[in-house]
Amino acid sequence: MSETGVFAFELGDELATRCGNTLTGVFVPGSRIALSAYRHVTHSSRDAPTETAGQDPVLIYMAQESTLFDEPVLRSVLAEANATFATLQQLGSRATRAEYVNISRAYRSIVRSCLEKLEQAKKSPEVQTDEARLQRLSDAIVVFYAAECLWHLFEILYIQSNQLVVPQLLDWARFHSPLAEDRATDLLLMGEEASESDDYWSIVRSLIMLGEIDITRALLSQNRKAGQTSFKAAEQILKSMPVYQEGYALQKFHSQWEFWHVDTERKIQSGLFATEPELEQLLRLVAGDNEQWDDGIKESQDFFEYLPGYLLFTKPTCKPFELKIAAAHWLNRWCLLQPEKKQCAMNRMVSQLMDHDLKIFIYDAQKLNDTHWFSTHLIDLIHHCGQLKSYFDQNNIDLPALRHSMIYEYGSYLMTSHNMWQLGIDYLDCCKQEGQAAIELLLPRITLRSERQATKLINLARQRGLISVEREICKVLSKRSYDNERYGNALEWAIRSKDVLLVTAVADFILKHYSKTGCMLCPDTIANVGGRMFASPRLVFLSKYFEFYEFYRNRDFLSASELLVNLLESKITPDYFWPSLLIDSMPLLESKDPKIFAKETVAILHHIETDLVPIIERNVSKYGKHHSETVFKDYRVENVDEILNLLRLACARNLARALIIENTMPVV
Amino acid sequence: MSFANVSTHYISEKVSRVRWLPEELQQSERFVTGSWDMDQNFVRLWRLLSNQYATATDSDVDQIPRCMDKVRMEDDVTAMEFVDKDTLAVSCADGHLSVFNVHRAVEEDQMQRTSRSGLLHCFQRSQEPAPCTDLSTYGTDIATAGEDGCVSIVSVENVRQVKRQIEADSMALFSICYISQQELVTANRMGVIRVLDGRVATEAQPKTTFMVASQDDKSNFVSSLAKHPMQHHILLCGSEEGSITVWDMRNLSYPASYLSAHKSPINEIGFHQKDPSKLFTAAEGGEVWMWSENKVLGSDYTKDGHSPWLSGDRVRSLVDVEGVLSNIRKSINSFDVHGSRLVCGGDTEAVYLVDNIV
Repeated sequence: MSETGVFAFELGDELATRCGNTLTGVFVPGSRIALSAYRHVTHSSRDAPTETAGQDPVLIYMAQESTLFDEPVLRSVLAEANATFATLQQLGSRATRAEYVNISRAYRSIVRSCLEKLEQAKKSPEVQTDEARLQRLSDAIVVFYAAECLWHLFEILYIQSNQLVVPQLLDWARFHSPLAEDRATDLLLMGEEASESDDYWSIVRSLIMLGEIDITRALLSQNRKAGQTSFKAAEQILKSMPVYQEGYALQKFHSQWEFWHVDTERKIQSGLFATEPELEQLLRLVAGDNEQWDDGIKESQDFFEYLPGYLLFTKPTCKPFELKIAAAHWLNRWCLLQPEKKQCAMNRMVSQLMDHDLKIFIYDAQKLNDTHWFSTHLIDLIHHCGQLKSYFDQNNIDLPALRHSMIYEYGSYLMTSHNMWQLGIDYLDCCKQEGQAAIELLLPRITLRSERQATKLINLARQRGLISVEREICKVLSKRSYDNERYGNALEWAIRSKDVLLVTAVADFILKHYSKTGCMLCPDTIANVGGRMFASPRLVFLSKYFEFYEFYRNRDFLSASELLVNLLESKITPDYFWPSLLIDSMPLLESKDPKIFAKETVAILHHIETDLVPIIERNVSKYGKHHSETVFKDYRVENVDEILNLLRLACARNLARALIIENTMPVV
Repeated sequence: MSFANVSTHYISEKVSRVRWLPEELQQSERFVTGSWDMDQNFVRLWRLLSNQYATATDSDVDQIPRCMDKVRMEDDVTAMEFVDKDTLAVSCADGHLSVFNVHRAVEEDQMQRTSRSGLLHCFQRSQEPAPCTDLSTYGTDIATAGEDGCVSIVSVENVRQVKRQIEADSMALFSICYISQQELVTANRMGVIRVLDGRVATEAQPKTTFMVASQDDKSNFVSSLAKHPMQHHILLCGSEEGSITVWDMRNLSYPASYLSAHKSPINEIGFHQKDPSKLFTAAEGGEVWMWSENKVLGSDYTKDGHSPWLSGDRVRSLVDVEGVLSNIRKSINSFDVHGSRLVCGGDTEAVYLVDNIV
């Protein structure tokens, strides 16, 4: 947990050095800053190109905050915490205390398993050779170790909130100073030899100061001199120390404990242990002798290391509010005895917790270099378990608002970095309208790597009813496919986007391409559009025309002519397609056996005169008579006005023929 | 039956595919995972080791996976399939196919990439690589499907030589499955399923297409195809809307059955290879379900070779469904079952091991 200073940016490219290495930056989405060279311009500067304009390339640099979570091992903390976070949200604020304690433990176990993974990773050869990564892992271990330690203490004091805190505090201190215990294990394995070992007494002292009475007894019983009276007496004292158990009458316990305490002091004073100075020192510690404990304080790394042990021997039934006073005294003593030690952030935060100074604690917790993982999840847990509500009310802290803003920030961070959008979205979901709006902005900004990923994003958007996001993604993909000349794909994405204009544009392109070249693009897609065709009238036309095209190709001329007449009547024919459509009718009109009835032929003639002719006229007035540039083209004819007469003639011939056939009585 | 033994292992990677290593006579102890959407994507080989802390913490997790080896991939892993006992085919979102060799050892298992194909899928105009979306194997043949709508068939002995390239579709293909040595089925994003012949070129392909069933006229992509391990004419399609459509390949005029199942897209569907009365589905919404043939009711059906999956509307009464995993909340992208054990993984960046499944 380092309190980093202000970072300095410097570009140092040619353009920047030319104007005094100044730069400007803009925040861009995704917690990044775009940096580029900058020259100051005021109202009095001349508005002219600089003399060196165009000489150097303009470079834009993207600066991104580097965080602990660049390390892949740490991703599991985020992912696992996300699952626990979601469980807590489901639990709401009406669950029992035990359930909240379980959640808190789940969070801590995430950190502990992560610490284990980090230690393992640190030992692996690929990390050992990578200096930067090794440093990053070490930093991460420091941060998460602190997070676990503080969370544990918080859990004891504010979530479990038992009446008596000493036993839990002992567990807490032992876990965070494991050295003595490790060494004790070695000594125990050595058996009787252990008592010769140089650090035997210092380890035993540490164990006592950590309140590890059982291990101390085991070590003492292994001592060569264990048979002597002084050792037996010491064993007796340690064994008979009363330990408070839940449900025991407090008054009764107090009198027992007081008796044991006085008895111990008396034994020490009587010189029972005078022959064994080390043992006597040890028992003085047990009796709470201030001189001895002061020596202990001088040895300790952190001020809180031996505090629980001290409480065990001086005030075993310490209550949370008494802890506040005891901790303050203890910290004073520690500072007096170790004046050279600087107060580190960790010590400060532990004392804030014991001091019930949560306001400052939360403030400091946000300074941990973990992109607010710790503070966000802790505040969320505080909010849900509701035990500290009165504290926050008294201190004028709007806890729901604080939680809201923390979760919002944390969620936005995840949404914009390291492909963690799936995790981030859960946090933003808890932030009501702001969260919804942030999702709406951030979701479409996620780089689309593949269509499968796109469908996942769309699915997320759909679950939240963000139709605009769904549309935007589909439109981007449609445009992308279109640029790649993959029209079938573009059409399908366009249909998914439900954007009428886009569908029309793609369908238009396919129709125009057909009328120009006679080649139908992506027939397999159009054939399967089915009920989706109603996305746009143009698509309906395209599908229907395609149906006609297929009938025609398969020589089913009767169905083809019927469909063609329907198409002509449908009023959805785009202007540019009239020539193609009418030219299509020509072979059907001219075929040997008549396929179009008289009434339909009149209709075709009608369309030639009312639809095609005005278009040609408009075209002529726009471009001149024999201009090759026309608004419409068909691959089958060079100049559209030439076919007018042919069409009219074909209609006339078919009309004559059809009239005769239709009006002739069948000869029986 | 309850699945008490579910263990979760966070692995810091979004999992796109997971497969057990094939074992003939014993329960497989090793599996492979492929990751997607990460800064660096890997294929990892895992092995289940006994949990040293099991007795200390009296938890019921007696086996934990440990990563034995990993190979870095150029892009997202999109599909993985074992061709034989130690040969793994891996398709990648950069349009290439890789073949891996897995070496089982007593202490440290190893895995190497033995060969990598040329660019199998690319967009015609820009010549940019197109993601390979799925693969299927038959014997030594591997067929891959891509977002460019093409199907490439290569042989595992020489993946650098493309045996056949079929321009199957003008749309992105999402799934592919061999139904016989020559015949393949592909499914695209619109839900159109095509039958292809691996022996002939694009022009001569059969024009057999059929459409996956859906509740309304919306696009309904087919995300996963599976064929019955014994009765090869039964084809199951898991789709975007979460439903299962069953086809009898001998009669393609209408779907044999249609079941609405999950509420979110089905990411993978597959039968238990040794016990085809069990079917599994994994869905985007974070669920894994097991569908088992109802033995009592279905007995008269199974006798004459009828599968309950082909019984139309009656299929609901012939098949029981139960949740194996639920409430994961994030996508389960893939699963695999071997013997009595199921492994699955997804976007929670975790793998889940489920014991005593059958």
